[in-house]
Amino acid sequence: MRGTLLLARSEIMRLRRNRRYMISTLAFPIVLYLLVAKSAKATVYGVDFAAYYMIAMATLGSFSGALTGNAIRIAQERKEGWVRQLRLTPLPSNGYVIAKIIAAMAISVPSVVIVLLLGRYYGGVHLAIGAWITIAVVVWLGAMTFAALAIAIGYRLQPDQVQPIALLIYFVFLIIGGIFFPLKGFLQSVGNFTPTYEALKIATDVAGGASVSGGLIAGLVIWLAIFSGLAWLSVRATAETV
Amino acid sequence: MSHSGTGPVVSFENVSKHYGSLKAVDGLSLDLRAGETVALLGPNGAGKSTSLDMLLALRKPTSGKIRMFGSDPYHGVKTGRVGAMLQSGGLMPEVTVLELVTLVTGLQPRPVPIATTLRRAGIESIADQRVDRLSGGQTQRVRFALAIVGECDLIVLDEPTTAMDVETRRRFWASMKEEVAEGKTLLFATHYLEEADQAADRILVINRGRLLADGTPAEIKARAGAKRMSFRLRGVNEPFLLGLPGVTSLDVRGDVVQIQTMDSDATLYALLDAGYRPHEIEVGSLGLEQAFLAITAEDDRAGENASAAVEEVRQS
Repeated sequence: MRGTLLLARSEIMRLRRNRRYMISTLAFPIVLYLLVAKSAKATVYGVDFAAYYMIAMATLGSFSGALTGNAIRIAQERKEGWVRQLRLTPLPSNGYVIAKIIAAMAISVPSVVIVLLLGRYYGGVHLAIGAWITIAVVVWLGAMTFAALAIAIGYRLQPDQVQPIALLIYFVFLIIGGIFFPLKGFLQSVGNFTPTYEALKIATDVAGGASVSGGLIAGLVIWLAIFSGLAWLSVRATAETV
Repeated sequence: MSHSGTGPVVSFENVSKHYGSLKAVDGLSLDLRAGETVALLGPNGAGKSTSLDMLLALRKPTSGKIRMFGSDPYHGVKTGRVGAMLQSGGLMPEVTVLELVTLVTGLQPRPVPIATTLRRAGIESIADQRVDRLSGGQTQRVRFALAIVGECDLIVLDEPTTAMDVETRRRFWASMKEEVAEGKTLLFATHYLEEADQAADRILVINRGRLLADGTPAEIKARAGAKRMSFRLRGVNEPFLLGLPGVTSLDVRGDVVQIQTMDSDATLYALLDAGYRPHEIEVGSLGLEQAFLAITAEDDRAGENASAAVEEVRQS
């Protein structure tokens, strides 16, 4: 485990140095929040717009942090032979994947925290302390689904295929998950089943004091199981070609 | 620390690796003993890299058994007993050389001091450079550094000096000698015959996935009809010369005769016994390169004959 943590520390250091990655996970949701949070006065998913948009942007930050950085890097590092090189070290065979997940989850923390702080002090969102913590944890843990998806894609595809496919999946899930704007009608009925929407809705229910539906939690868990299963299959299928 | 116990460091028992109908490795059996420096020599596609991949638990043999320090190779790799550098191995980008060496050193159960690794690999001067901005030769040296960050018992290198310039190559082998002097076993694949000749105390020649020869560089040279004889002689027909004992090839230009022979003494005596008196007689050894070509060419011919025989059986 010590080796895995050492590798995770290096991974976090690399992610922090990568400007493009930091912009997409940190700057993008912050700037969007500052621009949009006060532009509408409405009640969305049972909460004020400023509270809805705070939760949406925190979800955006953590989910994008979990998916985009890792998927592309894993594909590149497999192609360039770094994954192979690591297999020749005493690092446990699952150490690389675990370190990637730890790094992605760790790097998502600041964007969640900063957006929630903005919600409180810029958007004027007032919640009980327990609700703040629950929202942060839900939005952050929900990104585990995308962390697993990143492994599945990164191990299965070539680097030049990963970028467009990851972006496509990412934007589809964000849009029909209600992250950029609340959904209505048909889109909503489809979006109900996305992990992005499920994380968002659990958090807005917590913020609005509504009872959280077990179906939403079950949905997230099912997505996590599906993506983890795909990740496991991808890693196993490529065991002889890394 | 060197290998304790008396068993072989590495053993291949009738190991094969097939990709569909392609037999990349075909019934390979060999043992490496502690403290040996062994060159795995063969042309491209001979099965060198596949054999090393299987030894390092990156690929599974289709059949046969590989042991490392008496247990399975995966165990050997994960307990830090092997340092390895593969052609296909890459480096982590976006970090400095020092950060990378520090990380991989941290993964070792018996780490070597980082300063020692940097010195042995000759990368002190580039320690603060970013890994993804190195030249080919510098990258190769960093990859070598990653193979020696732990106090291992076995070092495995696949074509280690590819992309190195002459000076770097010289330094590389000098630091490799330091490692071997500590009692480590070294296995390296190469197609530089000169390198195998100079660095190894044992050479394994493989071709088409099979072991063709196993011996000291001198034995390998001897194995392939490794004497060259030349003399001047008028008026002798070529069939007669080819019929002399030991002769494997013949080249006649005017009165200059060049013979390659398995047994230079027998060839010469037979020539003299037949009443000829050649002059300007010279006898010398073949280089390892010619020996190697002779061994693999013989094997390729055998392969063609075998497939021709199969073809005949099919047609009849």
